[in-house]
Amino acid sequence: MRRLPDASLRGRAITVDLEGESIPAIEGEPVACSLVAAGEPMLARSVKYHRPRGPYCFAAACSHCLMRVDGLPNVYTCRTPAREGMKLERQNAYPSAKVDVFETIDWFFPKGLDHHEMFAGVPVAEQVMAKVARQLAGLGLLPKEAAPTPPESRTVRTRVAVVGAGAAGLAAARELTERGIPFLLFEREDHVGGRLAHGAPERDAPEITDVATLAPASLTTRATVLGLYDDEAGRFLAVGVWEPTGTRLLKVYAERFLLTPGGHPPMVPFENNDLPGVYAGRAASLLLRRHDVAPKVAALVGWGDELYGLARLLEERGVKLSAVVDLKGPPPSGAHALAVEGSEPKAHGMRSVSAFSFTPREGSRRKVHCDAVLVSVPVSPSFELARQGGAKVSFDAGRGLFRVEADADGRTEAPDIFAAGDLTGGGSAKDAAAAGRRAAQTLVGGLS
Amino acid sequence: MSKSMICSCEDVTADDVRHAVSRGYCDVESVKRYTGFGTGICQGKSCLSAVAALLEKEKALKPDAVVPFTPRPPLFPTELRLLASAPVDESQPPVGGLPQDVDAFASALRPEGPLPAKAKVVIIGGGIMGLALAYNLAREGETDVVVLERGYLCAGASGRNGGGVRMQWGTPALVELAKRSIDLMKGFARDLGINVWLRQGGYLFLARTDAVAKRLERNVTLHNRYGVPTRLVTPDAARDIVPGLTMKGCVAASFNPEDGVIFPWPFLWGYAQGCKKKGVRVETYTDVTGFEVSGGQVRKVKTDRGDIACDTVVLASGAWSPEVAKLVDVQLPNEPHRHEILSTEPLKPFLGPLVSVLDSGLYFSQSMRGEIVGGMGDPKEPAGLNMGSTLRFVSRFARALMEQMPHVGHVKVLRQWAGCYDVTPDNNPILGRTPGLDNLLQMSGFVGHGFMMAPAVAERMAKWMVTGESDELFTRFNLRRFAEGSLEREDMIIG
Repeated sequence: MRRLPDASLRGRAITVDLEGESIPAIEGEPVACSLVAAGEPMLARSVKYHRPRGPYCFAAACSHCLMRVDGLPNVYTCRTPAREGMKLERQNAYPSAKVDVFETIDWFFPKGLDHHEMFAGVPVAEQVMAKVARQLAGLGLLPKEAAPTPPESRTVRTRVAVVGAGAAGLAAARELTERGIPFLLFEREDHVGGRLAHGAPERDAPEITDVATLAPASLTTRATVLGLYDDEAGRFLAVGVWEPTGTRLLKVYAERFLLTPGGHPPMVPFENNDLPGVYAGRAASLLLRRHDVAPKVAALVGWGDELYGLARLLEERGVKLSAVVDLKGPPPSGAHALAVEGSEPKAHGMRSVSAFSFTPREGSRRKVHCDAVLVSVPVSPSFELARQGGAKVSFDAGRGLFRVEADADGRTEAPDIFAAGDLTGGGSAKDAAAAGRRAAQTLVGGLS
Repeated sequence: MSKSMICSCEDVTADDVRHAVSRGYCDVESVKRYTGFGTGICQGKSCLSAVAALLEKEKALKPDAVVPFTPRPPLFPTELRLLASAPVDESQPPVGGLPQDVDAFASALRPEGPLPAKAKVVIIGGGIMGLALAYNLAREGETDVVVLERGYLCAGASGRNGGGVRMQWGTPALVELAKRSIDLMKGFARDLGINVWLRQGGYLFLARTDAVAKRLERNVTLHNRYGVPTRLVTPDAARDIVPGLTMKGCVAASFNPEDGVIFPWPFLWGYAQGCKKKGVRVETYTDVTGFEVSGGQVRKVKTDRGDIACDTVVLASGAWSPEVAKLVDVQLPNEPHRHEILSTEPLKPFLGPLVSVLDSGLYFSQSMRGEIVGGMGDPKEPAGLNMGSTLRFVSRFARALMEQMPHVGHVKVLRQWAGCYDVTPDNNPILGRTPGLDNLLQMSGFVGHGFMMAPAVAERMAKWMVTGESDELFTRFNLRRFAEGSLEREDMIIG
C-alpha cells in the first residue's frame, strides 16, 4: 500500500510514533491507514500462533488492527483518528513483532494446536503447560492508570430510531423528515453514505443524501450502537457517542427501530488469508476513495458485483491488477479482462503479501506477483441487533450468510423492528435506498 | 506456516472446525464453544457466516439447522467505565428477556435416529450433574443409561457459569464435597483426556459489614477443621494478594489459596465423551414431554423423539427441574433466578484469585485466556426462567468492580450473558428419592454452585445407586426435609 501520487490534500501532515519510529500521517485519518500507507502493514501478532497480522476489514469487525495506543490495549486502529505524537505499540510479541520468538508456535504446529487434548493428563507436562499457557494467553496489558469518568450519560426519547446512515438509512431519514416524524439517525462512521461513500461505485447508484436536508439535529455520526435492551421504561438502544471529551452513553427510547446497519466484511477461509496485505474489498475501496491509499499491484479474489466494481475503481486510479479470480463461477461477460473462475486461493509472503496463487478452472495452478490480496465478497449482514430485538434470522445457503427476514415493507417478526438494505440480504445501493424509504413509510403508519 | 483462518481473533482454522465436527460437535453453538470461534474481540462478526457456510457445505448441518449463535451484547467492545455511566433504578426489578426465536432450539437440530425403547436409567439433563452421574454409573458398571438434554451440551448453567471452584463454604457437608470435587478436577485430564485448566489462584472473600466478617471468621475455624487452609486477612494483606484492590468499604477478608477457577465447558465434553466410550447414550436436542406413571413408579419417560421405558429416572435439570417435575405432578420448592455475567477483552495475567464481595454478590476473576469474567446478583431479580441480558446488570457490575479495581475502567466488555441459579429455600441441593415416586431420583437445587459440586456428588450418587449402600448425603438433602422443616441454611452463596 502507498499514498497515491495524485492524492489530494485531506488534512494536516503530522507524525505518529510507532515503537519509537516517526511515521508520517494525515491528521484525522484512521491511524491504521497511516501505517499501511507508510509501508508498515504488520500491526500485531495473533493471539495463539503469533502470526503476523495487519488490518483487514477497516470496519471494526475483525481484530487484525488492534494495537496498544497511548497506553490502552486492544484499540481498533482502523477507527482511531491519527493525532500528532500518538504512541502506537504492536501487541503480543516478544521481543518485537518483527522478530517474535513465539512465531515458532506456528511452525511447530503446522496442523494446528489442540489445546483441549495437548498434554492432557500427562504428569508434569500438564502443569508446565498450564503455567506457560496463562502467560502466553491474553492480548495486551492492563492500563496503568485509572480511567477518567466519561461524560454523563443521557436519556432521549424519539418516535423512530434509525441505525446506520447508508443508502437505506439515509433514504428512510429523508422520508421521515418529509413527513415530519421525529427520529434520530445513528452512524458509526465519521461519514454518512455507507458503501455509496466508501464502497466500489455502482451503476445507477443514488446520490448520497445531503444531510443538511434532514431534520435538524437528527443525525449523529461516530455513534456506535452497543445493544438493544429493555428496561422498566421500555425498549431502548444503548449508543456510545464520540465527543471530544470522551465517549458518552446515550439511552435512546423509541417506538420503532429501523435497522439499516449494512454488513460486516467477512473472512473467507483460504491459506494465509490472515497475512498482512490481505484486505477486505470494502477496506480497499475505503482506503482508495477516502484516503487515496492503494496497493501498487493487487490480486482480487471473491465473487459478486462488488468484486468487479472494485477492479474498475482500482484501475481508474492507476492500480495494476495481477489477477481477478471469481470463486463462485464463470465471470459475467465483460466483467473484467483478467477475470477467471478459480479455486484454492492462497496468499504468499513472509511478513506481508508478495504473491498470490490460485487454480484456474481451466489450466494449471498460477502464481502472480502482488503487494495486496483484496477479498471482495458480499458483506455478512449485521443481524445481531435485529435478532436481539426478536426479528427472525435465517441462513441463506446459496450465498453462505445469515440475513434478517423482512417483508417488502421492512416488517420483521418483531412488531417494533423494521429492517432494510444489506441486512435483509443484499441488492444494490439503489435497492437499499428504495427499501429504506418503503420501510419508513410503513412504520409511520403504525405510529401512535 | 500455511493456515486457513476462519476466526482470526482466536486463531481458529477451517480444519479446527472440521475437527470439532469429527468429535460430534456439529451445531453452531457447540462448534463455537469447542473451537472458540466467535469468542474473541469481534464476537463473530467476521467469522460466523464462514463457519456456518462450511458446516452447511460439508453436510454437518441441514440448512434449516444453521442457526446463528445467541447474540451477546455489547455489539462492539465497550469500556467498563462507559457502561458504568448508565443510570440504574435500583427500586425497580430488572426486566428484559430473550426473544422466543433465540430462546427456543430449532426443531431441525433434533437428531433423526430413534431413541432406545428402554434403559435402566434415564437421566434428564445433560449438564455437568447428569453427565457426571452417567459417567460414574458407567464406571460402577451400569452402562444401560441414557442422558437426555434439551439443547446442546453447555446450553444450561453448566455452560454459563464463571468457572469458580472453592472450598470456602459455611456448612461441613459442602466443604467436604467441594474439597473432593477439586481433587477430582485435578485428575480430570488424566481420567478423561481433556484439559480443564484448573488454576488454583485462591478465592478472596471481602466483607463490608461486621456480620459478614463474623461469617468469614466462623468459616476459618470450620475450614481448618476439614484441612482447608482458609485464613482471615487484613485489608492490607488483601491488597498484597491483589495489587490495585482498593478494599473500599470492606472491613475484613478471607483467603483460601487452594480455591480456584476452571474452564467449565471441557468438563461436559470430557464426561460426555467418557460416557459414549462406555456405551452410555447422550442425546442432545431432545425434549422431555411427560412421564408414564403407575403403581408409585415412573415407567416411561416421554420425549419428542419417542418414549423410553426405564427402571430409574434421575432429574438433573438444574433450574428447569421444577418444570420437569411438574410433568409428573411433583412439586419442587426450587425457583429459577436469572444471574447475569460478562467477559472482557483478554489481557495478560494481572489477577490471581477470584475476588468476591459477599455483601453485594460481586465476583470477578481472570480466566486462563486472560478475560475478566464476573457477575453480580441483583436483589430485585424476580423468579423465572429468563436468560436475557440487561444494560442494568453491566452498569451495576461495572460500578461495583471499578470501586474495587479502578484500573479496569478502560477494559472493554466483549460479551454478556445470563444463566439461571436453581434456588432452594435453604440454599442446599435436593438429592435422593422422591417421596411417593420411589424410582424418581432428585439431583438438583444447587443454587449456582452445582458445577463445582458435581464431580463429588455424582461419584457418591452413582455408588449409592449401584451398590444400594446407605449414604447420609441422600437423607440429609432429601426433598422430605422441606415438609419436615429440618433446614440447615447455607449462607456462603454469592449473589
